[in-house]
Amino acid sequence: MSGTSAASAAVREADATAASAVKAFQAAGRHAEARERYAELVSRHQRRASRIAYHYLRDAADTDEAVQDAFVKAYAHLPSFREELPFEVWFTRILINGCLDRIKARTRRERWLVPMGGRGGHGAGDGAQPQSDPSERMASGGPSPEDALLTRERRREIATALAKLPERQRAVFVLSHVEGCTSREVSALTGLNESTVRVHLFRAIRKLRTLLGGEAAPAAEEQRAKGKRRVTS
Amino acid sequence: MSLLERFGRRHLHDRQFARIWTTGGGHPHLEQCAACRVRFDDFDRWAVELGEQMRDEADAAFTPDRLAVQQAHIAHRLETLDRPTRVIAFPKAARAVISGHSHVRRWVTVAAAASLIAGFGLGQVVDLKRTLDRDGSAAAPRHFTTATTAQRANAIRPVSTSYNDEEFLMDAEAIGPRVKELRALDDLTPRARDLIARK
Repeated sequence: MSGTSAASAAVREADATAASAVKAFQAAGRHAEARERYAELVSRHQRRASRIAYHYLRDAADTDEAVQDAFVKAYAHLPSFREELPFEVWFTRILINGCLDRIKARTRRERWLVPMGGRGGHGAGDGAQPQSDPSERMASGGPSPEDALLTRERRREIATALAKLPERQRAVFVLSHVEGCTSREVSALTGLNESTVRVHLFRAIRKLRTLLGGEAAPAAEEQRAKGKRRVTS
Repeated sequence: MSLLERFGRRHLHDRQFARIWTTGGGHPHLEQCAACRVRFDDFDRWAVELGEQMRDEADAAFTPDRLAVQQAHIAHRLETLDRPTRVIAFPKAARAVISGHSHVRRWVTVAAAASLIAGFGLGQVVDLKRTLDRDGSAAAPRHFTTATTAQRANAIRPVSTSYNDEEFLMDAEAIGPRVKELRALDDLTPRARDLIARK
């Protein structure tokens, strides 16, 4: 744990240095150098940003656009960035706000669209990836068709369950559980109180456990055991 | 066994596991009950696997190649952002086609002028013809419609307001009587020109 926090502290320091340098270059009108230095920040946060946006939007193309928009927006507004806040936190807020705006726009758009027969559309439950050719997958030594199908099915279930969570619970769950942020970090990212973050996380995990069918209540187990005993006796 | 002890010995529910898991703390029951410890371990494994599955899914959607393309797009957009905006003049295309070649421009001008003149002339002719046709059909009776244009011109004689009685009589005398039987009577009648001469 101490290794992880040391690494994240190093990342934050590197971010702060890079952000300051980009700001200085922008102020001096040396745009090419500013862009070059900013690419360092992009490559460091790109994967994480894509994961977060993907769990919000559930569509790879939309995620691509949201991540691009967030990086461009952050670059354009970097002169107003306060350095006492970690770049990661500031950038993630921009990204999440962008994702929420996209979801709202999509909801508005879909209200006017007639649903097509075969396609489930974006959002809830549309976690399926585009299917690649099975022969290609076999040749490349990938998972068997059964495994691929099970994985896809499981992903769809997770996506459906995640889509059923309220917006805040989902955000907290994705940030803390998928991205491994602490409650304090999630609090800084979302602007929520630390104890509120914990409550949201608790509710999210409880609901997901119920939705994904992993729950085995002790009372039910006991009941089942009693019933068995009665039958055998 | 007291009620409190019995309550304390009850197995933990998933709800409690979720609370323990979220806060990161422990529970005294977990230390005492092996079955609940196993179930909590199972819960913990489920939660960790869920996170891993979600990460894997996102990573499968965003391969290194895709991320490289995304980075290139970001770089391109940033470059566009830094470049000052260019104002495009409007409209330019129509002029640009002609401006390069002066002889083309001259021919286009001549052709346009010629078309204008031809159009104007044609318009006048068509208009005149239509007027003539209308006048002709109004003046000529139905049985004259087959007559030539010259005949129709003769038939239509302008009415002069200065045409007095004397001139009319002189014209009548010049023509003479058209019926043979009236010629003798005509000879007895005094001539208008003689009367005028006498005056």
